[in-house]
Amino acid sequence: MLKVNGILTGLAMAAVLTGCEGVFGGIYDEPDNRGEVTVNGTLYVDASDWTQWHYLDLHQLADSVAADSTYNTSLAWRTFDIPTEPLIDPDPGDRNGIYTYWYDVFGAGISVNEFRDFYPTALQPEPDSWTIAVHRNNVRTNGCEAAVTGLTDIDEIPDNPEYLDGLTYRADEWNERDVWVIRDRMLSGLIGNQGMEVNPVLSSWLRVDIPPMPPAFTMNPEVFVLRLPDGTYAAIQLQDYVSSEGVKCCLTIKYRYPL
Amino acid sequence: MTPRHSAFARRLAPVLLCLAGLWLEPAARASETADTAGVRNFDLDEVVVTGVRTPKLLKDVPVQTRLITRRDIERADATDIRDLLQAEMPGVEFSYAMNQQTHLNFNGQGGQSILFLVDGERLAGETMDDVDFSRLDMANVDHIEIVKGASSALYGSNAGGGVINIITRKAAKPWRVNGDARWSKHNEQRYNLSVTARGSKISNVLTGSFYDIDNYNVKSAPDPVTRVIGTVYGSRVWNARERITYQPLDNLKLSGRAGYYFRQLTREADAPERYRDFTAGLRGEWGITENDRLEVAYSFDQYDKSDYYRRSKRDVRSYSNVQNGVRALYNHTFGNEDILTAGADFLYNYMLNTKLDDRRRRETWADAFLQYDWTIDPRWEVVGAVRYDYISDGDMSRVTPKVSARYKPHQDVNIRLGYGMGFRAPTLKEKYYSFDMAGIWIVNGNPNLKSETSHNVTLSADYTHGNYNITVSGYYNNIRNKITTGVPYYRPDDPTELYLDYVNLNRFTVWGGEITLQGKWINGLGARVSYAYTDEHQVRDKGGNNVANQYIPARKHSLTCRLDWGKEFSKVYTLNVSLNGRVLSGVKNVEFRDYYDISKGTVTVNYPAYTLWKLSVSQRFTRYVTLNLAVDNIFNYKPRYYYLNCPLTDGAALQVGLAFDLY
Repeated sequence: MLKVNGILTGLAMAAVLTGCEGVFGGIYDEPDNRGEVTVNGTLYVDASDWTQWHYLDLHQLADSVAADSTYNTSLAWRTFDIPTEPLIDPDPGDRNGIYTYWYDVFGAGISVNEFRDFYPTALQPEPDSWTIAVHRNNVRTNGCEAAVTGLTDIDEIPDNPEYLDGLTYRADEWNERDVWVIRDRMLSGLIGNQGMEVNPVLSSWLRVDIPPMPPAFTMNPEVFVLRLPDGTYAAIQLQDYVSSEGVKCCLTIKYRYPL
Repeated sequence: MTPRHSAFARRLAPVLLCLAGLWLEPAARASETADTAGVRNFDLDEVVVTGVRTPKLLKDVPVQTRLITRRDIERADATDIRDLLQAEMPGVEFSYAMNQQTHLNFNGQGGQSILFLVDGERLAGETMDDVDFSRLDMANVDHIEIVKGASSALYGSNAGGGVINIITRKAAKPWRVNGDARWSKHNEQRYNLSVTARGSKISNVLTGSFYDIDNYNVKSAPDPVTRVIGTVYGSRVWNARERITYQPLDNLKLSGRAGYYFRQLTREADAPERYRDFTAGLRGEWGITENDRLEVAYSFDQYDKSDYYRRSKRDVRSYSNVQNGVRALYNHTFGNEDILTAGADFLYNYMLNTKLDDRRRRETWADAFLQYDWTIDPRWEVVGAVRYDYISDGDMSRVTPKVSARYKPHQDVNIRLGYGMGFRAPTLKEKYYSFDMAGIWIVNGNPNLKSETSHNVTLSADYTHGNYNITVSGYYNNIRNKITTGVPYYRPDDPTELYLDYVNLNRFTVWGGEITLQGKWINGLGARVSYAYTDEHQVRDKGGNNVANQYIPARKHSLTCRLDWGKEFSKVYTLNVSLNGRVLSGVKNVEFRDYYDISKGTVTVNYPAYTLWKLSVSQRFTRYVTLNLAVDNIFNYKPRYYYLNCPLTDGAALQVGLAFDLY
């Protein structure tokens, strides 16, 4: 046993003597950009910026893929900044804008919160035609409804109308405390949110909890079905929310459209 | 007396019992004098090396050294160095950052000023400027030597507040297999295994350990005045170490070692954090003559942090600190027992950190030191040392002196006085960090940081006679240019983002003292009470203004206590009972009312006092098997608010353990 141990120790020593800047680097994965190039059936979007919405038009995407099967689907996203400047002359009763809430970030958690103030801003700019939009862990739709299926394999989603019609759908709902935009007073628990209609079902695909601190992300791997205003259906599923460099809210999404 | 005071008094009752125990009438061993009994009872004949880098008996070493023996470690049933230091040393407290990274406060000194060594070798890697304490498990530790006060003249940067040197076990028998297992609440599991073998020229020590505990939630009362913890993160830790020693000649010993450490902490189910360490080393010890000894060593240590993304099965590294060091140490003993020590070190320090400017940084450290240990007569011994350090990044250099004296006015009394200059060079992180901390603020390094320097004075006296030992010590530490993060601020060109820069503070002082009473009686009863007073003065900026400290200061009063009793009823049954406790006073900390508008001033936050006690019963059956039962936190203490410096306990915990020892 002593000889074997001696040989093992010697080998370990030989390995480290050549490692002025480290050994066993091969056990780690290097960051790369492979997630940013996607083809039919998969999408990738860096939605980590607090101040941007990213829009996707499923009809246009389907046309692009039909025309070119090698089309990089990640290029289908269009990005628009969230307005954060106060309106100089707002209309009375205008509810578009930034809602500041105090969250009990360092106590009971963000489920305990209180409204603090509001100021109106310009309307959220958006493209002429779009289906869904993502902002970090928030998702909204352009007049669609969404349902959760309970299935985790997107290829198992039946495309028969009975199944699709039988799901329980919810449309977008007004929200003023989940679309976190302004974080420069976060240490005091104050966060500025965009007042916006978001889809509560689709937004459940990525949950952010505080505590703990830093926040904990929990992904729902279920497949969601989207009912578009024209009566067509799409299946979408969040596959991953972390980039190859470890940045959260970089979304890899599987989709099927039309069903 | 209020109900709370009454409860506190009840919990202090065991302390009073311990104190009472010290006055029990001793039963001296007939064949032993009081002097030899004292040496035996309190391990004063153990050899220590840390204080002067040459082997000395504890009773003779001129630098005050606290020894924690293997027996102490077993009595504390410590899993890692955190458990042990808290059980054995008053004035030691671990607090937490918002993300629960651990920070040490050791008599007012932060972890960045306490140098941790394993068999004399530095450790790579840090978080919150502290080493990864989970690496330092107690599975294979023989003893620990703690030298308080500046030791930069012997150990360089980071030793400004003291040195904690963990000495691992050697193979002492032809073969030996021992191990232990322990189970407790939150699915806590601990397994240790050690296999040692010793031949005529070769010996080997192989150790493995595993520790696992689940995450668990804790609940604070409503309306905390500062940040609280809601979930206590558990972790899974693997540790394996191998050391082989070859002694071809009586005066030549060669050894090689290798080790691997892995810890996984699951803060997010989809992305657990991983911490790894690879360590290895070679050492040669040559007794050139009877009076000349040369030691050369090579040490490698690599500490990595990564996140494992379960969805994509990718393990992405964000941090790696690699240290390659070579060292030479020479001792010459003169005929009159004076000892000359000379040494030099060279270390290549490499850091990969995705939060650093340029991601990768490199630097080299080089130093040389000289020490003379002058035994003037049997009563007086004086040691002087001086060291020159050079650090390539920033072209920094520093000379640090140290002088210590031991005076023995009576055979039972030792008085030690020491002065040391401490030194801590800014780390690569402190110089080049650039980190957006979850939108709260951007932490920025500062390439223009100066080195911290400190002047440290220690004075101690100990008296040992028969069954009693008393040690009294005091210290004063004055630090200039202390490196820490400063006051948050907005930049004129970026009024929406808060910045937090590393800065040099004007001065920081800490002084304190400690008194330890020990008794050990032949009827199997032993007791020890240690009290520490720490007065840590508020840090100030260059303008002399108070600034909020990111670390919670030391508690002024702290006390540890142990009462143990053991009896060998027969060859096959031995019983040991031990009661360990610690009492810590409350502490106040000045914190900003609003970090985004510091003109609103500060508020004083009161962190409450607490006390924790552990009762252990250990039953040994034959010499091979031991059954351990313990109740940790026997008074079921639960913090009202889980502030960042409170004990992360959710009440009493039963611990069941089993150990075996075959040889």
